[in-house]
Amino acid sequence: MLLAKTLGSSTFRLALIAIGTFGLIVSVIFAYVYWSTVSYVRSRSDHAIMTEQANLHDAYARSGRDALVALIGQRIADKSFADHVYVLVDSASAVLAGNLAQWPAGTADQGWSEFRAAVPPRSAADALVRGRAETLPNGDRLLVGLDIGDLDGFTTQIRAAGIAVVVLILVLAAVASIGVTRRTVGRIESINATSRAIMLSGLDQRIPLHGSHDEWDRVAENLNQMLDRIQTLMGEVKQASDNIAHDLRTPLTRMRGRLEKAYHCPRNGESDAALIGDTIADLDTVLAMFASITRISEIETRARKDAFRTVNLVEIAGEVVELYDAAAERDTTRLDLTGDPEVPVTGDRDLLFDAIANVVDNAIKHGRAGGKVTVTCRNGEGGAVISVADDGPGIAADQHDHVFKRFYRLEQSRYTPGNGLGLSLVAAVASLHGARIELQDNAPGLLFRLCFPASTGS
Amino acid sequence: MTGAHRRILVVEDDPETAGQLVDQLTTSGYDVDLAANGREALNHGAARDYAVITIDRMLPDIDGIAVMRQMRDDGIVVPFLIISALGEVDDRVRGLRAGGDDYLVKPFSFVELLARLEALGRRSETVAKETILRVGDLAVDLISRTASRGGRKIPLLPKEFQLLEYLARNEGRVVSRAMLLQHVWDLHFDPSTNIIDVYVGRVRRKVDDQQAYPLIHTIRGIGYCLRAPG
Repeated sequence: MLLAKTLGSSTFRLALIAIGTFGLIVSVIFAYVYWSTVSYVRSRSDHAIMTEQANLHDAYARSGRDALVALIGQRIADKSFADHVYVLVDSASAVLAGNLAQWPAGTADQGWSEFRAAVPPRSAADALVRGRAETLPNGDRLLVGLDIGDLDGFTTQIRAAGIAVVVLILVLAAVASIGVTRRTVGRIESINATSRAIMLSGLDQRIPLHGSHDEWDRVAENLNQMLDRIQTLMGEVKQASDNIAHDLRTPLTRMRGRLEKAYHCPRNGESDAALIGDTIADLDTVLAMFASITRISEIETRARKDAFRTVNLVEIAGEVVELYDAAAERDTTRLDLTGDPEVPVTGDRDLLFDAIANVVDNAIKHGRAGGKVTVTCRNGEGGAVISVADDGPGIAADQHDHVFKRFYRLEQSRYTPGNGLGLSLVAAVASLHGARIELQDNAPGLLFRLCFPASTGS
Repeated sequence: MTGAHRRILVVEDDPETAGQLVDQLTTSGYDVDLAANGREALNHGAARDYAVITIDRMLPDIDGIAVMRQMRDDGIVVPFLIISALGEVDDRVRGLRAGGDDYLVKPFSFVELLARLEALGRRSETVAKETILRVGDLAVDLISRTASRGGRKIPLLPKEFQLLEYLARNEGRVVSRAMLLQHVWDLHFDPSTNIIDVYVGRVRRKVDDQQAYPLIHTIRGIGYCLRAPG
């Protein structure tokens, strides 16, 4: 199963191509080495033969046939010329001198040839001889040769060694690539197995790590982290839908009960009108909640920034403060705007207005009645910053991360009006603008800061 | 509105919604023509003169916005009220840019629709160039941007004045919270809070407190109406 997958994998096919190419190159290199060695050895022996022939020819030219015969005799007796082959025949092919029994059959009278002959006393069997023949002026023929059997063996060994090395390399490469591919396929297979298990049974499976901290472990780690993130998100989605269900059921149950009661009562124009009015108001609450949810999703998934312009944060904050002035006045809260006169940012006016309005709304609602809420816009070192500070009870540090979740309500504000969506919207708007949200203890109260990136504005 | 200008073209493909609209608009004294798709809408638009055309954004054949563009290209200047289930800001803005005069997001209350139709219909009539709007003993001076009741000046912040001006311009007509946000604050979304009510509450205290009769009336579930008694 795994072997079949290994052999069918693309890694293995690539390895085969690499091995093939590599093998071809190694073969060519060895062929070249072999060829150059052989030709070197051959040229050495040819050179020796030609030198010796020249010596003999000189002896003949100087002192005639007898001197030549005598020299050949000397040479045969000389141990250092043991691998040499000599034969001198007259025009009738009778042997005059030499260590061959006769002129080797099939050998030309002139020039190079290779033949097999018994060369006593060196070899009884036929040795491979390379020789050069020459016809002397008196019609005698002289052949000088070398027993090249040893050289032949040498080149054969080189050839054998070369082939053995090439074969060995190919075999090792094949084994190595099967091993590597098998490992790769094994790791991929474990990822695949986990994916299948996740599809079948749920998100709690994780890809096993080998502990080798190699790239496969890193891939597995990243995938596992991605799965963790997905699992967290799924958890949040579930939490959110549970909350939606809860927050929707409450007004829906109210409406249903009201309508059911009215259904069983006799018609009464006045109370019917009140009932219908209340029901419409409750329906509007539900619809507004839907609108908020879809709006947050739309902002969160929006990649386009077509509507982004350079806007003055102070102007927007000013409009928000003006709008909430009446609400602050009702709660006898002092609502102030301070900071730099102009704080440009690149953004969407409506979204920024909505986000700031939500924060100010929270500050007034959850701040201290009779307290104060201060909105400050500044051109900071790192970019524009808008902060909203109140002097109410604040939010405990361990709750800071939770308040941006959809439908999250702090225990302390469970019964104040609101749907727990406001800060989710603020978070979505901030993230669309690349801005960072900071919550700090204002001692007492909450300090909310929205920090825009430095590049924003103009 | 004159008789001829109480004719409205409703472009809506859902038969039940269309039926409800036709019934309620007829009850409210409008003459209503119905087009179930873009092509019918174009035919009606070319054949008759309407006070307002309400158009669904998503039609079975031609996109509502394309229908609007086509009519505008044909020289039809009737105000359009876009009715859309696509509630997102981008869609609204795109609709307005394409020549829509106002928009309404589904689901909407019929009173809200009526309020917007009234406002749009009035816009298509020639608006008298008044410089002082008068409602009962209230005078809203558009030049000096001040308001007074019975000759006594009412101290108003600029936005408060704008709000009162918008109510006065729509004297006797219901103005929804969303319309106030749109025209006074230029906001194309509904903040999920009752902030408008709080704001109007303050304006009302300034305008109506210790006066002979109230001018700003709350219309339950919808918004407000500025009118003198009688």
